[in-house]
Amino acid sequence: MIDKKINFIIQAKDLTVFRNGKTLLDRVNLDIERGSLTMLLGHNGAGKSVLLRTLHGLLAKTDGQINGPPAKRQKIVFQKPILLRRSARKHFHFVCPGCPDTDTEAWFAHAGLQAQMDTHAHQLSGGEQQKLALIGALASQPSLLFLDEPTSHLDYESTTAIEQMIHDAHANGTTIIMTSHNRAQAERLAQQVLFIHAGQLLESRAAADFFDKPTEPIADNFLNHL
Amino acid sequence: MDPLKLAFGMLLALDPELMSIISLSLVVSFTAVGAALVIGLPIGALLSSYRFPGRWAIITVSNTFLGMPPVVVGLFIYVLISRAGPFGWLGILYTSYAMMLAQFVLVLPISIALSRQVFETLNNEYTPLFLSLRTNKVNRVLVLISESRIALITIALACFGRAISEVGAVMIVGGNIRHSTRVMTTAIGLETSRGELAKALALGVVLLAIALSVNIASQMIRSKLERNIIND
Repeated sequence: MIDKKINFIIQAKDLTVFRNGKTLLDRVNLDIERGSLTMLLGHNGAGKSVLLRTLHGLLAKTDGQINGPPAKRQKIVFQKPILLRRSARKHFHFVCPGCPDTDTEAWFAHAGLQAQMDTHAHQLSGGEQQKLALIGALASQPSLLFLDEPTSHLDYESTTAIEQMIHDAHANGTTIIMTSHNRAQAERLAQQVLFIHAGQLLESRAAADFFDKPTEPIADNFLNHL
Repeated sequence: MDPLKLAFGMLLALDPELMSIISLSLVVSFTAVGAALVIGLPIGALLSSYRFPGRWAIITVSNTFLGMPPVVVGLFIYVLISRAGPFGWLGILYTSYAMMLAQFVLVLPISIALSRQVFETLNNEYTPLFLSLRTNKVNRVLVLISESRIALITIALACFGRAISEVGAVMIVGGNIRHSTRVMTTAIGLETSRGELAKALALGVVLLAIALSVNIASQMIRSKLERNIIND
């Protein structure tokens, strides 16, 4: 049985995902503290996105247990934003159907997108699209937010703006689990680090400790090349 | 007589028989295409979005029917709605309803097969978002239809092209009865068989003009939709 301590927002026990003859996640155990900002690190193909998507319920687990908040209290932002072919405002209303207009305007202002509310979502720049996806996820005030490399294709300015929004959301109490390939970003944002390799969770530690000296040689090697 | 001159002469004179043939052709084809889109698009969206028992059977049947010869479709419908057939009690043989039914059966597979392909591409893109938002099946289908509205104009055009140009099936189930079930294509067939080639060519020119007008109208709608999407 999973230990249902009040300070854990999501826990996984022996989480295994097996697809097409490959083990994508291999008996992963994790406990994420409520209100924390956890960075999920690992090489390409290590299983970071699979873990995020499985925890969020987008991928079916083969075995194991997940105990997290209800589906409507969790949101995910993808590496490449998935936006409907309509205005930014209409897309926002689709992902946050109950949001009143005043809130909508406040969220667009928060993202600096007031002038783009009626622009077609696909005509926004990469950074603006990611901001739109992020406010769409945050507007319903999720208790748990998954971010799958949200700044990987963005320039410095957009990355800084997105990081500030992530920081604000975390400061407002949202628990965040995100992946990144940017060490500086990981060090700036993370409180906790999960290091995954070949579907196995090798490290789960405080960020400062992990960046100071990882326990696993493969993690040390990873950090040296990050 | 020059077919072009004859065609324009008949059109300008608002020849009553020609007008009734044109209007019947349009009513039959638009009704058949409208019904095929209303039924076919949701089926295409469901086939693209969900795996369920019998899905591949529906896909295979609809794909097979894409290449179904119209006369065979006409023959099947004739057998079904003739007085001795299981639906003979409807009494629609040799009426415009039978012609609409025949064209509907011919264009429904087009609307299903083409829309399924359009929706499948879109659905692959949107599936993670739908799953994350726990979007229900009905909303998913509505979003797919709404998001692909420009591509659907092309599908509607393809269906209309097949319907308006169809001759074999409507000839069998409609009977090409003057002032009753005669449409452009059956009239062209009749005039050709009577040796009235100029008249047949004139009717052909009118048919082409109708196809061209519908095409231009759909392009205008398409452009307007594209502008609306950009300004949306």
